Amino acid sequence: MQVALDGPWSPLLGRLSLAAIPYSNPILVSTFAVVVVLGIVIVGAALRYGKVGYIWREWLTSVDHKKIGVMYIILGLVMLFRGFIDGAMMRTQQLLADGPNSPGYLGAQHGYLPPYHFDQIYTAHGTLMLFFAATPLVAGLGNLIVPLQIGARDMAFPYLNATSLWLTVSGAALCMISLFVGEFSNATWVGLMPFSEMPTNPGVGVDYWMWAFQLSSLGTTFNAINMIATIVKMRAPGMSWFRMPVYCWSSLTTNIIGLSIFPVVTVALTMLGIDRYCGTHFFTAGYGGNFMLYVNLFWIWGHPEVYFLMLPAFGLFSEIVPTFSNKALFGYPTMVAASFSIGGIGWVVWAHHFFTMGMGPALNGYFSAATMLVGIPTGVKAFNWLFTMYRGRITYATPMLWALIGLVLLLIGGLTGMMLSASVFDYTVHNSLFVVAHFHCMVLVIGAALFAGVTYWWPKVFGFKLDEKNGQMYFWTFVIASLLVFVPLFYLGFAGVTRRLDYIYNPALKPLLWVSEGGIGMYFVSLFYFGKMLYVSLRDQIPAAADSWGTGRTLEWLTHTPVPFYNFAVTPQINARDELAWRKAKGLEGVQPTQYVPIHLPNNTAVPVILGALATIFGFAMTWRIWWLSLASLLAIIVVVIIRSFDKNEGYILSAEDIARMENRIALASIVAEQPKRPALVQVEAH
Amino acid sequence: MSSHYNPLEHPEVQQGTTGRYIAAFLASAALMGGAYYASTQKLPFVEFVTMAAGLSLAALVSQLVLFFGLNVSQAQIWKGIALFLAVPLFIITIGMTVWAFSSLYARTMPMDGMVMSGQPTLLQ
Amino acid sequence: MASNIPAASAVLWNPSADEHDPISARTYGFWLYLIGDALLFCGVFASYAVLDNPVNAAGGPLTAQVINAPHGLLQTFIILASVLAYSLGTVSLKTGNQAGVRLGIIAALLLGAAFLYISGSDLLALAAQGDGPTRSAFLSVFFTLLLTHGLHMVFGILWMLVMLVQVSVLGFTKDVVGRLLNLRLFWQFQATMWVCVYFYVYLLGGSR
Repeated sequence: MQVALDGPWSPLLGRLSLAAIPYSNPILVSTFAVVVVLGIVIVGAALRYGKVGYIWREWLTSVDHKKIGVMYIILGLVMLFRGFIDGAMMRTQQLLADGPNSPGYLGAQHGYLPPYHFDQIYTAHGTLMLFFAATPLVAGLGNLIVPLQIGARDMAFPYLNATSLWLTVSGAALCMISLFVGEFSNATWVGLMPFSEMPTNPGVGVDYWMWAFQLSSLGTTFNAINMIATIVKMRAPGMSWFRMPVYCWSSLTTNIIGLSIFPVVTVALTMLGIDRYCGTHFFTAGYGGNFMLYVNLFWIWGHPEVYFLMLPAFGLFSEIVPTFSNKALFGYPTMVAASFSIGGIGWVVWAHHFFTMGMGPALNGYFSAATMLVGIPTGVKAFNWLFTMYRGRITYATPMLWALIGLVLLLIGGLTGMMLSASVFDYTVHNSLFVVAHFHCMVLVIGAALFAGVTYWWPKVFGFKLDEKNGQMYFWTFVIASLLVFVPLFYLGFAGVTRRLDYIYNPALKPLLWVSEGGIGMYFVSLFYFGKMLYVSLRDQIPAAADSWGTGRTLEWLTHTPVPFYNFAVTPQINARDELAWRKAKGLEGVQPTQYVPIHLPNNTAVPVILGALATIFGFAMTWRIWWLSLASLLAIIVVVIIRSFDKNEGYILSAEDIARMENRIALASIVAEQPKRPALVQVEAH
Repeated sequence: MSSHYNPLEHPEVQQGTTGRYIAAFLASAALMGGAYYASTQKLPFVEFVTMAAGLSLAALVSQLVLFFGLNVSQAQIWKGIALFLAVPLFIITIGMTVWAFSSLYARTMPMDGMVMSGQPTLLQ
Repeated sequence: MASNIPAASAVLWNPSADEHDPISARTYGFWLYLIGDALLFCGVFASYAVLDNPVNAAGGPLTAQVINAPHGLLQTFIILASVLAYSLGTVSLKTGNQAGVRLGIIAALLLGAAFLYISGSDLLALAAQGDGPTRSAFLSVFFTLLLTHGLHMVFGILWMLVMLVQVSVLGFTKDVVGRLLNLRLFWQFQATMWVCVYFYVYLLGGSR
């Protein structure tokens, strides 16, 4: 049943051959050089300072939710950078290429990228930004903060949590490998059908894209299960549902969405996979295939996915706005209700992504109206934040600035979204840069919220704040850059420029393209300030207080800064919705527990990293159709899981004396401190 | 702590009973057998679909209650709520997909033998 | 809101709160996975509903020509009996009866294998007569739906084999008991999905 391939294939190496290395492409070769040099510097530094063992023992094999969260965020930031470079390359190509016969550079016919390479770049941009930048950042902050906010020791399933991380990493690794071995998909991040099928896309690009997508969505599904179970089962005593911070509520709704949508996209991609590998006809052009079915399944996942990323952003605003307004959040119950309504409505509007399919006026009417409904709960949220700020004592610290600009972008993105939701209007601007500008405003809301969240909780995790001055410079340059890049795109979209063009013919549009390119330059300036902010903060490391911003309200600000690896020396009893604010009002915020009890904690394990590595090998082998290696890695995954299930290790006990010692010198318990090896408990049979 | 913890006394272990499981098996088997029997009778389509859907639904419910042991007790309530939230999604995924594609072929790729449902075309 | 508690009597720390219930969390997490899995089936069902159309059969057969309804009914009885066997095995777990648990698993495993044998031979016969999954979009989704279910069953059987070893080697530890309970949910879920498949494909599809 195996599909006949275009080109050579050998049993040992599959489709892989030296021809797959793009050594003739100067852009890829120089990227490769940069990645190799960076890799050598990082590994060399780890060796030079003797940190390899530390990184392996304390980070890569860790099951601590905070370390996993930090690793998610590092992955997200690295991939955000790569996705940004892709975006910058796209804008530059459109600026340089005036028409099919305009001058070409670097061997391209026009612009500086051949169309085939340009197509791979916008595919990579979308894929990386959504799956490997936004999703890990959202998952990472959720991992970090939710257990702290509900007063839990860890996630419900720490080992599964690490597995989710490493599956996501394996997807990102496949994307990186595709840069230097073979090619990436040229069929857009949504996977155009039937263009992604074998007859029109015989290379390995679509396979890389598909496996990276599959692996990371598997990781995200596991993470969603873990978060829901954690929130439902692991709350501290006294934390009833309506005492839970709004960020936890939004995390809960977002993960309900995540759990319910990712299986659907797994189905769509699996069907594409068996089309490509076994020659079935789900989405092919002939034999009764229906490629709109793919579009339908994809957007059943794709639209709720937008809210999967957006709801945590709303949750972050709901934490940051009250803290920096020094006031309780306005309208807590309506915030919770709005999260659930957004999640629910977000699930039933997906066909507005393909109004032009031709499903008829009844359906287009329904999907238009349902889409507009999302504005109501979103408006409730926006007004609640405004009312929270109203007559509050506002501090314009960096997280608050990000939250405020998030509101402005939400307004722009939301109003243009209302325009797009009208199907008649959508017919006009379908697949134009107007749509691109709209959804970039929306993802910039997510971006603003994530930067806000990272800045806000940074001191809790590492014990020192990010440098405020450079942080604000980063903020202003980033905001100006964003407006410069995306506001012209609204107009360009109206002027008729469609998405994914590798040249733009109309010279009258040139000034706007220049403005947009200027914004890209500004992004590079903001990148400089981002680096400077990190450098200055790491150099100075000014210690932060437990309640780092002075006006914290929720539970995570109650424990030490930096947060100890066991979270709370003694589990807190929750007395009110904003526990810390309540304790402050009663003058109890300084009261420490008088006695400690031993804590049971899980041991670190290498199994998740090994599974991630095997998953990467599996994805790579399937991409290149190296059947023996695919089979071997799949079997290895099953065998590793089975062997691990025979492990009797039940974690270890952190004694009361150890806790007392670390509570007195909190740096010993910081997540960056190396912990001594503690004897493991062995699980015993029940009698 | 876990050394004092006897997993066999856990409510999830203790909840199942032989009688309930046998009842679940008999109910499901009888209902599905009934649905099959209905399909062998030459019933009108709508009547048959209603009957088969009702019997299958009853079989599903009997499995949820008797085999899965869903109820409103402290141990099971969150499973029930999770399922309750998910069932609309099952219906939406299948139902709205069917709806979206119900008239698509007639609208977009008219071919011999298909009813055009009175849509005006550009040529008219 | 409890903000009227006087400060002096407020309980701020709860040292006894650390003992949570790993088995409940575990079965709940697995239940959530099953809901996700159900949505995976929903995706396949939705595709089946779209592609079960003469246009998508590309001149090939539709449901009524490719199913064997009496076989399907037999499979329904077999899988329900398999679930019953496994469930009765977990009733023995209440008293820590290892032999009872093993017997239940072995019976469930054999019945599951019988189910797969019928399913597999029907599908192979269909492919042998030229109506394989590459014949048309409809047949692609028909095979995919049945094989999605079948693949779940294969994993269930593999899991049962592992559990047979674990019950003997490890005994009823917390982890083993948790896994036995989750396997029961997984196996029952396959029967529930099969009822949906049977209704949708064999009864509804067969009657058109």
